[in-house]
Amino acid sequence: MSEKRAKVVKLNIINEPKDSYTGGKSSLCPGCGHDQISNVIISAAWDNGLEPHKIAKMSGIGCSSKTPAYYLGRSHGFNTVHGRMPSVTTGANVVNKDLTYIGVSGDGDSASIGIGQLIHAIRRNVNMVYIVENNGVYGLTKGQYSATADVGSKKKKGPINETQPIDLCAMAINLGCSFVARSFSGSKKQLNALVKAAISHKGFALIDVISPCVTFNNNDESLRSYGYVKDNQAELHSVGYIPHFSPLEQVEVPAGSYRDVTLHDGSTMRLETISDDHDISDAVAALSALHKADEDKKHVTGILYFDGEKPSLDVDLDLHDTPLIEMGEDLLRPTAKQLDEVIASFRG
Amino acid sequence: MDKIVNDFTINIATANGTGSQSANLILLQTLFDMGIPVSGKNLFPSNISGLPTWYIVRLSEKGYQAPGDKTHIQILVNPATWEEDLASLEPGTVVIWNMDSKMPMERDDVVSYPVPMTKIARKLNPKLARMIANVVYVGVLAELLGMDQEVLETAISKQFGGKEKAIELNAEAARLGRAYFAEELTKGDSYVVESRDVEEGAFFIEGNEAIALGSIFGGIQMLGWYPITPSSSVAEGIISWLPKLRTHEGKATYAVIQAEDELAAAGMIIGAGWAGARGLTATSGPGISLMQEFIGLAYFAEVPCVFWDVNRVGPSTGLPTRTQQGDLAMLYESSHGDTKHIVFIPGTVEECFEFGWKVFDASEKYQTPVFGFSDLDLGMNKWASRGFEYPDEPIDRGKLVLTQEQMDSIDNYGRYRDVDGDGIPYRTLPGSGLDPILYRGTGHDEDGAYSEKPDVYFKLMQRLKRKIDGARDYLPAPVIKEDSEQDIGVIFYGSMENTISEIEDIVEEKIGKKISTCRVRALPLHSEVEAFMEKHNKIVVVEINRDAQLYGIMRKEYPLHLLDKMLSVAYSDGMPPRGRLYAEQIIAAIEEAEI
Repeated sequence: MSEKRAKVVKLNIINEPKDSYTGGKSSLCPGCGHDQISNVIISAAWDNGLEPHKIAKMSGIGCSSKTPAYYLGRSHGFNTVHGRMPSVTTGANVVNKDLTYIGVSGDGDSASIGIGQLIHAIRRNVNMVYIVENNGVYGLTKGQYSATADVGSKKKKGPINETQPIDLCAMAINLGCSFVARSFSGSKKQLNALVKAAISHKGFALIDVISPCVTFNNNDESLRSYGYVKDNQAELHSVGYIPHFSPLEQVEVPAGSYRDVTLHDGSTMRLETISDDHDISDAVAALSALHKADEDKKHVTGILYFDGEKPSLDVDLDLHDTPLIEMGEDLLRPTAKQLDEVIASFRG
Repeated sequence: MDKIVNDFTINIATANGTGSQSANLILLQTLFDMGIPVSGKNLFPSNISGLPTWYIVRLSEKGYQAPGDKTHIQILVNPATWEEDLASLEPGTVVIWNMDSKMPMERDDVVSYPVPMTKIARKLNPKLARMIANVVYVGVLAELLGMDQEVLETAISKQFGGKEKAIELNAEAARLGRAYFAEELTKGDSYVVESRDVEEGAFFIEGNEAIALGSIFGGIQMLGWYPITPSSSVAEGIISWLPKLRTHEGKATYAVIQAEDELAAAGMIIGAGWAGARGLTATSGPGISLMQEFIGLAYFAEVPCVFWDVNRVGPSTGLPTRTQQGDLAMLYESSHGDTKHIVFIPGTVEECFEFGWKVFDASEKYQTPVFGFSDLDLGMNKWASRGFEYPDEPIDRGKLVLTQEQMDSIDNYGRYRDVDGDGIPYRTLPGSGLDPILYRGTGHDEDGAYSEKPDVYFKLMQRLKRKIDGARDYLPAPVIKEDSEQDIGVIFYGSMENTISEIEDIVEEKIGKKISTCRVRALPLHSEVEAFMEKHNKIVVVEINRDAQLYGIMRKEYPLHLLDKMLSVAYSDGMPPRGRLYAEQIIAAIEEAEI
């Protein structure tokens, strides 16, 4: 009996074991928040029943951008150049719109060198998940402050940071980003639901994840240490996710008040009220929540803003339903007769 | 006075944004449609309105297309450059000038034709007088030179395609210009035009539009671009032709994105190439400077993508609306570390089209960024063409593994393993599920896994070198015209094609010797270039830059005995190459070498 049980491998909706979604061994510092996020990505992809080979994992440069080697080993990926992952993903996305693009980047990538690319990918509403593994420091170059370091925070070595940080969520909301969330690498359940919802969303989904750097920015004076964030997290709501293949009516209804948000693939994001009700369609409320948390030196988490109606880039481009990469010479090369017509038009 | 027929240069000095470009194109088209060999050079400023512009029209029975060494007929319309333009003219030059510009005509050694261009135009339409005045000088020229009125009016119709009011207005302005000359002035010069046999099917096209069409017939799937002179009309040409040529069931078979900058444009086409599509960007030198990091990634991760560089004058912002061959060395070794890239170099509009599709095949075959190298002169001026040849080979996707069966037939597959011994590995695509790897710009082994091992890195770099070297004789062979004496061999490339025949004639006239010519059409250099060098006693490499960039590449790559006979003529002042200037420098270089 016990022998038989040991052989049971849990399979997901497409009959794949979780092993089909794992990757190589991490080479990050033990305890790094990024590894927790990698595990969430593995779980989310498995839970959602994505076909591993239909995922593209994209990254830039930095500690965070090394992580695609540690998850989804059966997916193609591209570890590009510093901060410029959004443009590479944009180009891939428009020629093969049928893949699920999961981009991972850091605060160096996203808030400094690549902030322009992030902004324009949001502006175009590229259909992708964009996870920022945000720790306020440059890890791989040994602990310089990044552009998201909070005023008054102090990393392990060096002075207190006095420079105003860039809040990527506030920026994204102001840009009209269709899915804006903040989470914490230590809040596995919340992050898992957010990543799954982001995958189900069609459009640009930004998840800014506070992911403490255990080596350079995990001291008590840091506002991004594991301990500080754990104690100073202000959850907007409790986030649940019900996949499209699980009938909603069979899911237990919560005791308190909640609201359901239907996502593009038919899945549901269930937001349960904790204290105040947050309206995710209200950009001003979202900015207000960020501002208040900032004043209180708290980290607000949950889904800040959502717009399920905004058309994604592939729709704007009026692309044929067949992905461009599947088209052959018959569709890609006009005929000799067409060339004759073109030349005739020049002859006038 | 002897007549000078179809062999002179007209220089038209106007201000930017006044509609003079339309008038000048009408003039060019009329002469062209009369069967006269003619070329036009637009010397325009980096400006939308108000700064000086010159348009040079050269008529040449010998078919010379360079701007020529002197002006025979000067049109003076722009007060801003009036005095300087006037002072530069040789005695005897014909000057047609606008009396209404209130500028003095202080030369009595020129043939002066004062015309009240503004008054004539104002009478016709006061609101549009400034625009129409330009067509008045076309009318004056038509009468002065004996241009065919019917052909002129057809050219006007072509220029304003279908806009009846504009056609009628401009045709009337031309008639009034004509009438003014006939009634008020007397011809006192010897310049005339005569119709020649019209070449059937010939038409005008700019190099950039030819590249655009070539790209479309090459199956472009993704255009990522950022506007920059003089390349914007490549992207705009693609954008204007795509809906007509590449719509399927009412939907696009292509994606076009105007990027936020050149970096993003490069990133997008690399993303497209990685995903398995044909991506292209068009830019100029400053854009390539910005794209360097990405170019290195595409080279090292072996991702196909196409970059067109329409060269303008550098360094820095340089002379944005002038021409040069100053980016060649940069393209060949783009990005940090050891790199080497394939560069296609068209010299004619036909080649702009041909290389426009061939660059994609080369890029996918060799799994590497491929450059097309043009320049402002070739790209933005109108050139006569007889037509473009439809691609004679099917689309070549290279060593693409699309099915498990294909994968199974490859012995010891690895994304970066040289299975066939030609340096070119096989590749699979995202979404296929076949050998998924994490592409990276970091060191990697033959399976694509991260590696810093010395022998792994060394072997990888050697293979990449072998791969690109292996493309030499696949790429377009040089165009060689050999003289039987095989003494002087001139090597040149790109838009210099349009000046070379004049250079040949001037050299022969001056030193009594014919030269052989070899037009390089791609990097890395084809083996026939070396063979050409072997055969000739002296080799002169002629190019439009300061630092002798091709000469430098050749000196680095060729054996010692060839270096001894290599001479360089490298000159750049922003102007399209003038025959005499280069011919004299070639002669000086040869004579100096003989001392």
